[in-house]
Formats: sequence, C-alpha cells, structure tokens
Amino acid sequence: MVTLLAIKEVAAKHFGGEPESIDENAPVTELGIDSLGFLEFLFELEDRFGLSIPQDSVAGVKTLGELATVIDGLLAVAHPPAS
Amino acid sequence: MSRVVVTGMGVIAPVGQTTHQFFDALVSATSGISPVGPHIVPGAHPFVAGQIAFDSSVYWPPHKAAQLDRATQFALVAAQQAIADASLELDEEASLRAGVYWGTGLGGATTIEESYRSLFATEAGRIRPTSVVMGMNNGAAAHVSIANGLRGPLLNVSTACSSSAAGIGEAFRAIQAGYADVIVAGGSEALITFGNLRAWDAMGALAHADPIDGRRSCKPFALDRTGLVLGEGAGALVLERSDRATRRGARIYAELVGYGNASDAVGISKPDANGQVRAIRAALADAQLAPDAIGYISAHGTATKVGDAVETAAIKEVFGSHAATVCVSSTKAVHGHLMGATGAVELIACLMALGAGIVPPTAHLDRPDPALDLDFVPNEARRIGLRAVMSNSFGFGGMNAVLIARHFDA
Repeated sequence: MVTLLAIKEVAAKHFGGEPESIDENAPVTELGIDSLGFLEFLFELEDRFGLSIPQDSVAGVKTLGELATVIDGLLAVAHPPAS
Repeated sequence: MSRVVVTGMGVIAPVGQTTHQFFDALVSATSGISPVGPHIVPGAHPFVAGQIAFDSSVYWPPHKAAQLDRATQFALVAAQQAIADASLELDEEASLRAGVYWGTGLGGATTIEESYRSLFATEAGRIRPTSVVMGMNNGAAAHVSIANGLRGPLLNVSTACSSSAAGIGEAFRAIQAGYADVIVAGGSEALITFGNLRAWDAMGALAHADPIDGRRSCKPFALDRTGLVLGEGAGALVLERSDRATRRGARIYAELVGYGNASDAVGISKPDANGQVRAIRAALADAQLAPDAIGYISAHGTATKVGDAVETAAIKEVFGSHAATVCVSSTKAVHGHLMGATGAVELIACLMALGAGIVPPTAHLDRPDPALDLDFVPNEARRIGLRAVMSNSFGFGGMNAVLIARHFDA
C-alpha cells in the first residue's frame, strides 16, 4: 500500500493530475503514458525506491497496481526482513 | 517561381520575449548580457552570457516541461508566437503543404550535458531514458512540427552559427520551387552550460567580462573588443507563398528575395573573406539587386578580433564605393551570440528595421577600431528609409549564409 501511494505520487508528478485521482487498476496507456514515458517513469521510481528495476521484471505490467506488486517483490529481495 | 513573404515572427531572446520587446531593446541599446549564475558555473569565474529569465511554467506544467530540452522550449515559444502572429490556420490538406525548417548548432545541449554528468560524475552512474530524444539535434524541429500539426517537408540544419540563416534560406527555396506553401523557419539554441562555457573559453573565443559593467562585455567592431559572448534563445518566421498570403489577407512584413550560401573551404575556425564575399554576392544575384539597394546590413559581428576584420573586408569588397554609406550593425552587442538561433533572430531584427525605418545600433562602440572603417551605427539608432536589408551569418567550418529581404509590392 505504501509502495502504491509512492508510485501514484511519482506518476502524478510525471504525468500530471493528483495522486488520489489515479486509478491503479486502469491500463497505464489510459493515463497517457507511452512506452518511452513509462521508461522515464521507471527511472524516477528507481530513484525513489533506491532500486534497480530490470525491464524484464515489468514486461507484463499493465497497471500501476501490478507495478506496485513487482516493486514490492524487488524490495523484499533487496531489503529482506530481519529473521 | 513563387514569391515568398514573411507573415509572422516570434522571438525569445536575452533582451526580450516578444518581437516588440526585442526590437525596442535593440534600438535603445539595452543589454541583456549578465553574469552567469552559480547554478550553472559554481565558484568564482569570469563568465558572462546573454541569458533568458525564462519561466517555463507560463507555458507548460512541470511534468511536460521536464520532457523538453531548454532549446526546444525556446523553439516552441518562438514558433507559437510566429504562428499566432501570422493568424495561420491550416486545414488537413494545407497542413500537408506546411513544413518546418529549423536550425540549431548543438540541439539539446542542456540535456546532453546533464545526462552525461549523471552518468559519469555521480555515484549511481545512471542516465535518463529520454536523453536521446531530448538531446538529439532535430528535437526542436520535431516538436515544432508535432505541436503545430505541420506535416509537410521538415529539415533540420546544423551549420554552426549560420544554422538558422541556412534553414530559412533553404525554406525560401523550397517554397519558391513549389515543395511547400508555408514553412515555419527559424532556429533555437540553449548552450549556456558549464561544459560549453569552459569549452568556448578553452579555445580563446570568449570576451573578457568588462571589469566595470559586465553588460558591456560584447563590443563588436570596437578597438577594445575581446571576443564573443554566448547567448541563448530562438527566432521563428512564418514564410508563405505570396499569393496565398495576399489571398487570405495576411499582414506581410516583407518579401524574402535573396539567399546566398557558400563555403570558405579554408579553415575550421578561422573565417575567410573570400567565402563571405561569394555568399553575399550570391544573395545579391538571387535578389537581382545591386549592392546600393541594400540600406542596412545586420552583420555577423561576433566581436572577435579576426571575425570582425574579415567581415569588414568582405563587405568592402562587395559593396565597393557604397560600403562607405551602407549602415552596418551588430546587435550581438546586446543579446550575445545565439549560435544556431542567431541568423533567425537577427533576420527578425532586420525585418523590424525595414518596417520601422530604424536601424538598431552597434552598442558598446565607444572606441572605434581605425582598421574597421564602415558605418557601424555606433550606440545610437538611426532613422532611415530602407528599401532592402541583408543579414549575414558566418559559421565555424567556414559556412556562410546571407539573406536579403525587401518591402513587398504585390
């Protein structure tokens, strides 16, 4: 949930609008994001999360909700919870 | 061949962000040169430049502006002004006959520098995915086309300091020859960056900042000239087939009548009078005008020792006895050298001079160089009836482009 909110904040900054008005289940193309814009968006998310997001990992991503799931998975690998 | 007229103009320059602001500043010799700030070059340094206090948020929300290089932003602003000024409306069919011919020296210089700085000089070593499309040399031309639905011929010209003059000249020929009915032609440049300032300084081309008043650092044709001052901005003109313009009742600023393009083929940085002479003669022949028809020459006049001397020699050779009476000035004294944009911006100055009957002066010319003996219209604008005007643009690489315009008679 925290991840999704951060993604929406970056998306709003990058593509305009307000974070709360962005539908995480809408296809990203409906947010006016083309393929190059999506790469630039991922670049900013890498900064935001201190992560490297391999392009392969997001190849099948259609929505911001799905993107949040991928990033949560990458965060879990990068920063595993203390056992 | 079709005749070609100018029906719209737009400019964003260090001395003004509309054509009227711009020309008023030229006429009043008000300098737009200022010290380069610490956000560009940190620490103590000697750099001055013609910089634009530009607020992109007037034109775009931040997320849109972030996708446009500074030079492209200038291009879009100038093109929009010119198109609005021309009251240009293009339907689907007309848009196919409307093109963009654009000039720039370095293209997206700010993007390129910031991208490589991020890659080479930060620990993360990352580079933005938009670096290519924001930095590419034809980025501004593409955006002008996209933003305005101009779907005819597109050409991006990069011949250093003559880029936009050559672009306008080629656009003129394209309309003459029937390849297009309307062309938005001009140029843009935004290269006042740390790396560029240092590179220009390293080759010894930059003026020393005037120790008393930095605004007076650029002194074309003066004995105490020390070099050029970099500037930034854009100029755009709507060129149109004359019968189309008259049919729709467009206001016509002038007719473009001559274009000359010739290469020195001598040196990569040292200018040569012979190439300049051939370019000027070619433009006059194209215009079918004798030298004495030209009342005002907007000189390339960068304020380098060699450049001003060579241009003076070239003008004297072509103009002969008329060289003593033709008004010659360099407006770079107040706006700096806009590189790829300079030909377009200075042609606009020429056309406004033609329209107003006022020749803008060469500012900061208090100490004439006795070796340069033309009428450089020192410091004070001059009211004079003009039939035709000429704009010189001479680029590194020995690339010379000369344009001539006159009042339009139907």
